[in-house]
Amino acid sequence: MDDGGHVQAMREGFHINWMNMRDASTGQVMWESGEWDCDQEEMEAQIPCEILRCRQVSRELNFSSVEVITSLRLVQSVIFKGELLEEWNFHFGFVIPNSTNTWQQTIEAAEEEEMLPAELLSGNVVIETTFFDGEYPIMTQRVRIWYL
Amino acid sequence: MGLLSILKKMKKEEQEARILVLGLDNAGKTTILKKLSEEDITHIMPTQGFNIKSIVQDGFKLNVWDIGGQKAIRPYWSNYFENTDALVYVIDSSDRRRLEESSAELRELLAEDKLAAIPMLVYANKQDLLQASPADEISEVMGLASIDDRVWTIQACSAKSGEGLQEGMEWLIGATRK
Repeated sequence: MDDGGHVQAMREGFHINWMNMRDASTGQVMWESGEWDCDQEEMEAQIPCEILRCRQVSRELNFSSVEVITSLRLVQSVIFKGELLEEWNFHFGFVIPNSTNTWQQTIEAAEEEEMLPAELLSGNVVIETTFFDGEYPIMTQRVRIWYL
Repeated sequence: MGLLSILKKMKKEEQEARILVLGLDNAGKTTILKKLSEEDITHIMPTQGFNIKSIVQDGFKLNVWDIGGQKAIRPYWSNYFENTDALVYVIDSSDRRRLEESSAELRELLAEDKLAAIPMLVYANKQDLLQASPADEISEVMGLASIDDRVWTIQACSAKSGEGLQEGMEWLIGATRK
């Protein structure tokens, strides 16, 4: 079997469609990306700074895959001024060919006194999401966060 | 209300729970999960793959896997059985015509080794509709009483109004802890 060919096809058939962020306690959408342009190296998200006051925040990501993927996993890093603040790993496993899927992650916010102020965070935070099939990277997407 | 408050009831030693949500297409699986998270349920499309809700709080992780129920997707369900701690099976109580089909799918699931002995919650959804069969009638038609290899319950609910959802989930978490 030509592994290189399959990885290439997998990469070509993999798309992030949209992302959003919610106040998890009310389910209210605070920000949504709309149609996503995967080809851009870095996206920008302008998020209302009220989200920093939410006790729980949910991040939702919708993606499609043309090819079957046997061992999909994701590494999501929150980077502040080039330094890693948080890292999340999630193992999806099997992905159905020609499927559209969502992953929603709800996380508890830091205590208020540990929270960096919006002015300091704005423009300095990047959320980097990388999808892998086992060890093979499929795609990386970077979103720079601005708090309004 | 909702999945967040349920997490608080889990014990310290249970670091992670994986819940699998299955049922025929249009049963209301995605709507139930969205309603449990207080999200808008007016624009829900048929699931063409999976939807995962992954909730982390105080070191606990609850992963809820909702897999599309369309006939073409059902053969892929078995890829998601591994390490499942509890099963939620959703039924459209207003669709009498497909109750037998739903019942047959459930029987197949119950025979799966990888899902053996795990607690099962059956949601008899869409109770807000006039033509909905009551939960006890569905239970009888599906022969649920003969299930003796696991703890299970049937919960009447309406994903639209939210009625019964919380009760069902609380039962499930309680049963998973035992």
